[in-house]
Amino acid sequence: MVSYIKSNKMKNNCIHKDLIFYLDNELSVEKRTAVEKHLQECADCRSFFAFLQDGMQVIEKEKKPEVSPFFYTRLSARLEEKPEYQTKNQWVRLAQPAFFSLILVLGIYGGSKLGSKASSAKVNQQATSSVQMLNDFAAEPIESFLLDEL
Amino acid sequence: MDEAQLIKGIQQGDRKSFQTLVETYQRMVVNTCLGIVHSKADAEDLAQDVFLEIFRTAENFRGDAKISTWLYRIATNRSLNLIRNNKRKRFFQSIEETFTGGRNRTSEISENLGDQPDQNITDQQRSDLLHRAIDRLPEKQRIAFTLNKYEELPYQQIAEVMEISLASVESLIHRAKKNLQEQLLDCYKKKCV
Repeated sequence: MVSYIKSNKMKNNCIHKDLIFYLDNELSVEKRTAVEKHLQECADCRSFFAFLQDGMQVIEKEKKPEVSPFFYTRLSARLEEKPEYQTKNQWVRLAQPAFFSLILVLGIYGGSKLGSKASSAKVNQQATSSVQMLNDFAAEPIESFLLDEL
Repeated sequence: MDEAQLIKGIQQGDRKSFQTLVETYQRMVVNTCLGIVHSKADAEDLAQDVFLEIFRTAENFRGDAKISTWLYRIATNRSLNLIRNNKRKRFFQSIEETFTGGRNRTSEISENLGDQPDQNITDQQRSDLLHRAIDRLPEKQRIAFTLNKYEELPYQQIAEVMEISLASVESLIHRAKKNLQEQLLDCYKKKCV
């Protein structure tokens, strides 16, 4: 016991960390006796022990609550309601992916149609000519522009 | 009626067997949920969900564990799910309140407490303090501690419910108690009650 007291500095310091285990009767006989002795001497530990006891007492007060007398009646009513909700849910579960798949297929189809139009020769020609109009360097090189400025 | 007969009856859709099961275990399930969610109304709603799940999935019950183990497992999972959902909701609410300038909840709580007698305030504060401390425990520690304290389950049955070893249960409960004590000590030092 002496070694326990020394190692835990029970003579001078508090033993807060052991108190929850003391409360639950989970300490060895040796430790238990040492804690009891310390509690007699240390007012701070006694005060914290009372605080801890009050706190843990909450569980004892809350335990085994009275269940509502209509518990099964409510449950029974929910049991009746649920299949309707489930079938509704099943429809949503089937319709939702089908709808989004349809949108995806339409999107891919529309995209490929537009893409094929854009790659036709006519569109290609128009695109090249519009690019040429914008490209001034071909018509007037930068060197001649700078020479004219001089 | 023994457990096997009860389950067989429920598997065949017999309401009488189901009612017997509910009446036998309702208090146990509500108590387990209450230990985790700390609200009687929520605990009763969760217990109803647990029994509905039992009724709908009874054919999956293989009978290799006790009904109570099965019920505890569903009850703890559902309670944890509710807590996770509430946390998510609170997170989005706090974001919303940041933009809309919502009322401070703490002031609402203290306003409500103002009407109660002193003894009740202390009881309520003590109860809130312990609930907060339990809520701060990691999920596994919380489950093991709740089953041990609220339901007084032996470590072996907790191990079966949580599907872990006996040594792990011992370690979880030991750490849970240590963490709880640290939190309560912190509060005691700050004189928060």
